[in-house]
Amino acid sequence: MIAKMALAPDADQHVSWAPEREQRTGVAATVQGVSKRFKKTRVLEDITFDVAEGESLVLLGASGSGKTTILRIIAGLEQPDNGRVILHGKDVTDLPARERGVGVIFQAYALFPRMTVEKNIGYGLRIRRRPRKERKRIVNDLLTLVRLEEHRKKYPWQLSGGQQQRVAIARTLAYKPQVLLFDEPFGALDAQTRVRLRREIRALLRQVKVPSVFITHDQEEALELGDRIAVLNDGHLEQVGTPDEVYNHPATEYVATFLGAANLLLGVITGNSVEIGSASLPATKETARFREGQSVKLVFRPEDVCLSKDANLPEGCRRLANGVIEEVSFVGAYERLNIRLDLTHRRQFQNEAPSYQVTINTPERMTGVPIIVTQPKPEPNATRYKAGDRVAVGLTSFSVLPNYTLARC
Amino acid sequence: MVKISALRHVRGFDVARPVSIGVMLGIMLPLVILPLLSIFVVGTRKGLGFFWAALVAPEAVYALKLSMVTSFWATLFNVIFGLLAAYVLSRYDFWGRNAVIVTISLPTAIPTAVAGFALLALWGPQGTLGRFLFPPEGKQQLMFTAYAIILANIFVTFPLAFGVIKPVFDTMSRSLEEASATIGATRWQTFWHVTLPSLRGAIVGGALLTFARAVGEFGSTILVSGNVAGHTQTAPLYIFAKYNSPEPGSLEAANAIAIVLALLSFVIFSVLFFARDWLEFEAQET
Repeated sequence: MIAKMALAPDADQHVSWAPEREQRTGVAATVQGVSKRFKKTRVLEDITFDVAEGESLVLLGASGSGKTTILRIIAGLEQPDNGRVILHGKDVTDLPARERGVGVIFQAYALFPRMTVEKNIGYGLRIRRRPRKERKRIVNDLLTLVRLEEHRKKYPWQLSGGQQQRVAIARTLAYKPQVLLFDEPFGALDAQTRVRLRREIRALLRQVKVPSVFITHDQEEALELGDRIAVLNDGHLEQVGTPDEVYNHPATEYVATFLGAANLLLGVITGNSVEIGSASLPATKETARFREGQSVKLVFRPEDVCLSKDANLPEGCRRLANGVIEEVSFVGAYERLNIRLDLTHRRQFQNEAPSYQVTINTPERMTGVPIIVTQPKPEPNATRYKAGDRVAVGLTSFSVLPNYTLARC
Repeated sequence: MVKISALRHVRGFDVARPVSIGVMLGIMLPLVILPLLSIFVVGTRKGLGFFWAALVAPEAVYALKLSMVTSFWATLFNVIFGLLAAYVLSRYDFWGRNAVIVTISLPTAIPTAVAGFALLALWGPQGTLGRFLFPPEGKQQLMFTAYAIILANIFVTFPLAFGVIKPVFDTMSRSLEEASATIGATRWQTFWHVTLPSLRGAIVGGALLTFARAVGEFGSTILVSGNVAGHTQTAPLYIFAKYNSPEPGSLEAANAIAIVLALLSFVIFSVLFFARDWLEFEAQET
């Protein structure tokens, strides 16, 4: 797929499409304390984030989370009620869209239907009254960059979705945009094209080095496209961080559950451990910011659980509790296990056999706390888990979050 | 007895098709087609030489020219106004917006004679404003001039261009204009390079419709123009005057002009009809 990339390898040897000043250093765009209401509805509340030079930042959120409004505020198509928008050190909050020099790639690309590919790309230069020769040179360079030389005389409706998108990007690159804003760029495409196009765009952006902001509701897309991800929920930012940070160390329950599957257990801080029922999970680092006795949520991904049929869990795996496997299902590349944890057993004496206070035989009498675990597809001769097996359950990685649920309501 | 249902298909031949087409044409024939054909018959029955002479008669030429010129200015005004009104009314929401839309569309429903009277009541020598601006003893008159005909045409065709352009504006995606703005265009550049090209079909359509309607306008022009041959007599008024004239051959003269007007509207509506694909193509694009 990468080898088939739609980019000419030598296209960037003499041109950069990033703004000339402050190239590749520092902060490209800042959104500072932005709030917005539509009539009585609060759409955004105190949104603050930066986009570094050459970085791509993904605003991830469900529909109605306000991500489109942030994009429109950066572009100048919407005015914030409070807060500032700063592009390359210049406060543009009060400037109209046309004086900001941002490039917006609209959801349906918004190519001008009466103009050819060439004219679409040259539009920004034409209205800036650049000399014809310069215009022609830049348009040619861009056509090479987005590999559309042979389509230059075509009209937008004669192009495929991916080609239209490349025209839309080239059209903004022509005037060296301060920042590129992508509004759900793959929303209108089928799943396969989507994956191909986002790799193309990723490669293109690495080449042109223009800072960009994407908005999407697709977590997989966010993880792949973003140098950093900003997770939005109902008008406020939940977390901004690298894909690794937001996925492996979610700051809130919303982030944990919005990006991928997560198990949630309620616990209490006791010393350096999280106590969940009768189980105790040692977590010196994770519990440092909490006070003794505080109610917390233990969040962990299904793939961060390790299991063992004897009591010996592998190195680096912290013991949580015992459990009984309720169901094993095979899901292609991995196995999914439903496990019921015994969180009510009494404290174990030394050398006593572990207890499993879990019943799974009769549906109406199932006890124990259910969790979901995924395991890589087992090797052919490895010991396989089956329903009814008793296992020790440990965690390789988890997050401890304050249990705010009551306070927030 | 033959059953109706048995009539419908005779050995795979759908009888309903020729029958229904025949009924439709049978209704159209006496109502529309025959009257139109007879003006050609009457207009040319004294020979093509007479027909040509009737066409190039100075009064006839003047009447046709006057109709064209007044309709042209009315069309120009109403297309520009229609464009502005459509822009304002589909882009901005303000108090009383719907009332304005209804008012703009009102002239379609008003009888043309009423429109003529309304203009006289305002601008005429005894009118509410005309009394002061164009008093009966004054040299300048607005009514009973070519300007009055233009005013009447404007009034009567007021909503036509607006009615064609507004829906296109309504369905046009805002993101095209927003894209243009973010690229750096001023409002005027955006309108000129992006909005207007998308409206091309609607503007042409609206203009043709307005022009066709204005050329044929009779009820209001007969009241406001004064109907002076060679001066304020438009083509439809000329037809009416010739028809009422006792002179021999005047009926054929009226018919000669009628043929020209009929052909003109035929051409205009053919253009509109065959341009429909083109118009729809624009709508789907935007």
